[in-house]
Amino acid sequence: MNDTRPNPIRAVLQKPWLWAYLAAGLTFAATSLIAGSGAGSLFYAALTFASFSAIVGIGQMLVITLGPGNIDLSIPATMTLAATLALKFMDTQTALILPGLLVAIGVGIGCGVVNFLLILLLRIPPIIATLSASFLYQSLAIWSNRGLRIKPPEPLADFATGGALGIPNVAVVGIALAICAWLLLERAIAGRWISAIGQNLRAARLSGVPVNAVRFGIYVNSAICAALTGFLLASFSGGANLNMGTEYMLMSIAVVVIGGSSIGGGNSNVPGIWGAALFMFLIVSMLNSYGLGAGIRLILTGLVIVGVVTLASRKGYDA
Amino acid sequence: MTLKAILLGAAAGIITFAAPVAEADTSDKRIALSNNYAGNSWRQAMLESWQKNGDQAVTDGVVAAADAFTTSENQATEQAAQIQNMILQGYDAIVINAASPTAINGAVKAACDAGITVVSFDGIVQEPCAWRIAVDFQQMGREQVKYLAERYPDGGNLLEIRGLAGVFVDDEISAGIHDEVTNTNFEIVGSVHGDWAQDVAQKAVAGILPSLPEIVGVVTQGGDGYGAAQAIGATDRPMPTIVMGNRQDELQWWADEQAANGYETTSLSIAPGVSTLAFWVAQQILDGQDVPKDLTVPFLKVTQDDLVDALKTTPKGSVANVEYTQDQAKDVIAAAK
Repeated sequence: MNDTRPNPIRAVLQKPWLWAYLAAGLTFAATSLIAGSGAGSLFYAALTFASFSAIVGIGQMLVITLGPGNIDLSIPATMTLAATLALKFMDTQTALILPGLLVAIGVGIGCGVVNFLLILLLRIPPIIATLSASFLYQSLAIWSNRGLRIKPPEPLADFATGGALGIPNVAVVGIALAICAWLLLERAIAGRWISAIGQNLRAARLSGVPVNAVRFGIYVNSAICAALTGFLLASFSGGANLNMGTEYMLMSIAVVVIGGSSIGGGNSNVPGIWGAALFMFLIVSMLNSYGLGAGIRLILTGLVIVGVVTLASRKGYDA
Repeated sequence: MTLKAILLGAAAGIITFAAPVAEADTSDKRIALSNNYAGNSWRQAMLESWQKNGDQAVTDGVVAAADAFTTSENQATEQAAQIQNMILQGYDAIVINAASPTAINGAVKAACDAGITVVSFDGIVQEPCAWRIAVDFQQMGREQVKYLAERYPDGGNLLEIRGLAGVFVDDEISAGIHDEVTNTNFEIVGSVHGDWAQDVAQKAVAGILPSLPEIVGVVTQGGDGYGAAQAIGATDRPMPTIVMGNRQDELQWWADEQAANGYETTSLSIAPGVSTLAFWVAQQILDGQDVPKDLTVPFLKVTQDDLVDALKTTPKGSVANVEYTQDQAKDVIAAAK
């Protein structure tokens, strides 16, 4: 990254997030060929559903940035638990929307703290710690409500499904969070700390980075992002499901990788998260619209993801 | 029977006396449920039905125990280990909702060899020594198209919402739908996978809708109708006839639409209480009755006429249910003979 002033076009071409947006744009164009006048509503739907992937993706991205071995596999269970408890607490009453949101965030903080304690105190590798903790969260979710779907309060459902000026409300939330994450990473000292830890843990510690405090913050942040997504998704789709988080396990990792962040840590990429989230929704819509069978659909999705990841990481991260 | 009982007694480390061949008393028999998955409302209702019915049967002295066990990871290896444990614990019958039709055959065979009656339902096993209470999934698909054909004799465009790709159930229901569509004027213009979950279905439908012509009906697999309704409701399209899958939120939405603009549809699924049917079939086998190896689960249908009643009896957020009685199990057995 420290080569002498490349020309502006080259600079853009070298942005790892470029490929995610390019892929999203191409799939959108291809789907629009069939959709015709429906392209507008396709774009609206893409923004809506990409928001959920983007918010969990931001949390996951920061965790992955911490370096090899750091990953949060408890995202689906945290989403389910937060959504289940918050919707049960609100019990369709409008007056409880704000406290309900706080319940969801509180659950997120709780899950994040548990994750981090397992990792730090018991010295369990994050992949095992978050996975085993997720059984705990999932069981709590099952136990607390036995899988009954409680509807969100009316105004909350209206907010989650509504939008203004052609932009869905959930997308506004997702974009705002992305901007916060970008500011944190690019403009705040904490962001430097996160990248430093991911690039070399020992060096970061020796140079005085509060390693454990940063890691604590990141894991809690990831759980809060997951909890918030669960809350929004349940409000959007009319209730919390026990298996509502399932697809966000891989989705959260996929948007990070396709978005151009380094899977090995130390280098993250916020704009790419949104490009990748849009792409992940659009590719399924495109293949569905062309009427391809599930088998071909999955194969093509896999191939395209491999292609985008290869392009995005073409020059490698030898910084 | 005698030899089996002795073997079983030896396996369990307790001494049992051989029971008379026919009309055996089942009050000292213990039945276990081996369940592979508990992570959705249908399965939760299924376990609840089992417990309610089983507790009553124990209180009434029909059986000695009706315990339910669920594996945590929905994996065949784990369920096989669970069944091995049940063999060691000396259950007289094991009722299974299986993670795989083939992968736990070894454990099922071991149970049969130990003299244990094995009854599989919903997720059935192929091991020939076990009984199978299967769902006619193809028929489930056909019934939906038949209903829509009655409503729209002139045909039209249909959207198909499928389940989880690569699962046997999904292929079967879809095959039934496509097969029946050839007898009608319908055309399936789009097909998406909703993974039997409202939020996934909502997402998939929202993604394909912009590229679809006008549709008159949506065929589903259960657990996806409300999501489809949400996705279509978010656009300015007219609401097509969505076949529902007995979930309470689907029925509630249907009732609301009915009140608002006279919306009509139908709903069908397998009642989670099918676990109680499996329980009574196992009890009948232990009782020495002659039971065919292959039985069929009846569908639970909710039509326009009984929508109000179904909504009353279905807990909020759950799924319409019916618990089977011993007599109903006898009817199902008689029908299969």
